[in-house]
Amino acid sequence: MNSKKSALAQGFIRCHDCGCLSRKSEKNRLCPLCSGQLHPRMSNSLQRTAALLLSAFCLYIPANIFPIMTVTRLGVGEPHTIIGGIIALINGGMVPIALLVLVASILVPLLKLLGLGLLLLNVHYRWQDHARKWTIMYRIIAFVGRWSMLDIFMISILVSLVDMGGVAQVLAGPAATAFAAVVVLTMFAAKNFDPRLIWDNQY
Amino acid sequence: MNDFIDPDVSEVTINKKSELPLVWLLPLIALLVSGWLIAKSYSEKGPVITISFPTAEGLEVDKTKIKYLNVEIGKVTAISISDDLKAIQITAQMNSSAAGYLNQNTNFWVVRPQVGLGGISGLGTLLSGPYIAIKPGDGPREKHFVGLTTPPLLKNDAEGTHFILETNNLGSMRPGTPINFHGITVGEVLSHKLSDEANAIRLTVFINKPYDQFIRKNTRFWIDSGVDLSASADGFKVRTGPLISLLSGGIAFRASAEDTIEDVQPENTTFQLYDTYEQSTQMVYQNTLKYVMYFNGSVRGLTVGAPVQLRGIPIGRVTDINLELDKKTAEIHIPVTVELEPDRIQEINNDNHISDKDIMTRLINKGLRAQLQTGSLLTGQLLVDLDFHPKSKIVLSDNRSVYPEFPTTASSLDQFTHSANIIMDKVAKLPLEDLTAEANRTLQSLQHTSKAATGMLTTAQGTLDTADKTMSSAHQVLSILEPGSTTHYELDRLLQELTQAASSVKELTDYLEQNPNSLIRGKKEQ
Repeated sequence: MNSKKSALAQGFIRCHDCGCLSRKSEKNRLCPLCSGQLHPRMSNSLQRTAALLLSAFCLYIPANIFPIMTVTRLGVGEPHTIIGGIIALINGGMVPIALLVLVASILVPLLKLLGLGLLLLNVHYRWQDHARKWTIMYRIIAFVGRWSMLDIFMISILVSLVDMGGVAQVLAGPAATAFAAVVVLTMFAAKNFDPRLIWDNQY
Repeated sequence: MNDFIDPDVSEVTINKKSELPLVWLLPLIALLVSGWLIAKSYSEKGPVITISFPTAEGLEVDKTKIKYLNVEIGKVTAISISDDLKAIQITAQMNSSAAGYLNQNTNFWVVRPQVGLGGISGLGTLLSGPYIAIKPGDGPREKHFVGLTTPPLLKNDAEGTHFILETNNLGSMRPGTPINFHGITVGEVLSHKLSDEANAIRLTVFINKPYDQFIRKNTRFWIDSGVDLSASADGFKVRTGPLISLLSGGIAFRASAEDTIEDVQPENTTFQLYDTYEQSTQMVYQNTLKYVMYFNGSVRGLTVGAPVQLRGIPIGRVTDINLELDKKTAEIHIPVTVELEPDRIQEINNDNHISDKDIMTRLINKGLRAQLQTGSLLTGQLLVDLDFHPKSKIVLSDNRSVYPEFPTTASSLDQFTHSANIIMDKVAKLPLEDLTAEANRTLQSLQHTSKAATGMLTTAQGTLDTADKTMSSAHQVLSILEPGSTTHYELDRLLQELTQAASSVKELTDYLEQNPNSLIRGKKEQ
């Protein structure tokens, strides 16, 4: 379907360290230039991605059911889950901020998890169609990953800034840790995924 | 997995083997962590209970906490109206640690801010909203509770002793009223209720541990509230308690020096609560003699409780004052019942055979009489004074009371008024008009006399002027005769010459005496 071919499809392996191209052969395990080990693709990419993704899934559940932070104002403290916080924002008339939090804290991590999962399935079951679109999706996931840290970033700033004893206090809840872990794990997962695998077997 | 990669690249195979178990540890750990978190939160959830309250004022779902000693042990999860529409029902999710407290006798009540003179409590709830407090009790496990409308008597298990105080008037006493001992707050009033006969109010008080040992046999409690301004026959008296009881009322007590540690009273002993400090200091004499006295004249200023004094020393008090009208004779009597405490009088030469009553009779026969006297001129309060009036007769009225009559005599004020009346009567009888006419006449003649006297005085003035002139002439004459003046000198000379003349005459006469013949013959030559 595509006249252009990847390096591997043409029988070349590119060294990860020095970029030297060498023709793949049975004996050719080391790079002739820098003597580094040659990998045609990122080694164990799918396994690592799958493992990290699964961990992220596991932590995504506590991240959403436990309170992410407790805002205490004049002694009145109420722990909020992510969803609860969004509902509170909507009730407070701050719909745009609620939407922002919804996108950054719920939709993006969820879509990331689902997207990476789909990519894994795609590669594993060799769905041959729309490789270009899959790649675009990967790029989006890789790009957007860090922005989910927005929530964690906000909480960490609030915890340190809003510490006025009895007047106002912000405390991070157990979900904050879980959520941060989810974001970090999905970022690692995206990083470990080798998008070239989508293009393999396209012949 | 990576079978699409050329199998002759052997590193891939090697790596696959070495890396597989390590990577898969990660989801395992994540699974364990999230599983543990969920399991922990579920294990922390204790039983769900329901509590009934008359009103849900201030209570909010998910916000109102249930606290024990200010530690959160649960949260309100739902508020509903009970089936009979008379109360509300709160569903609360308790922590697992609270499961042990949820017994049959456990009490729940809503803590709201309370601002009173005695202090401010629950101020924190002003901002945070009310919370539900719990006092753990015993008994079997329970899931449905009825909340208290008022906080329970004791919020914790402080050590101390309960006592009962009896009073006639609750006044400003209420649960929480402090009890002071030498100014230290050592306890508080827990509750009050009417006694079974409804003739007194019984206050349950709680005295904290180290101080309850001072509640002994002769310990006296009194209401130590506000400013105690008393105007009695003894004059004015002002007593104030601590500032806090000045504002909100209080009870004070004091131990008696007579009591020893053995006299410490057990739990729930009943004590009398005196209205004032004064009352609490009065000795209670069991042995009393009651008499009725009939006074002539007004008893204005005599009150129930007024002292009865014997030569100025109180030995009893007035217990009753009545007004009686005899319908037959249309006479008015004022029987004054007094209570005498003979124990106040120390007895000497005690003969046990004579009863107090007999002694009184003997004293009355010796002239002991009752008399109304003004105790304080300022307040006009009267007191009953007993003293000996041996000359007065025993005048008894028609006594209908159950008590024997005590003879009275008119008060000194009455006597004074009586004498004054007699004098006034005499004054009224005087022939005042004749006296004034006579006086007029006398005055007129006096006027004439004074006119004549004026004339005489004018003449006297003239005489005096003449006398003045005479005096001045005399003065001039005298000034001439002053020593040093010419006249004086001449007079002096004259006198010397006169003296010489006289001596010559004397010589002459002497010569003549001796020689009378010389008168005829002349002086002989010597």
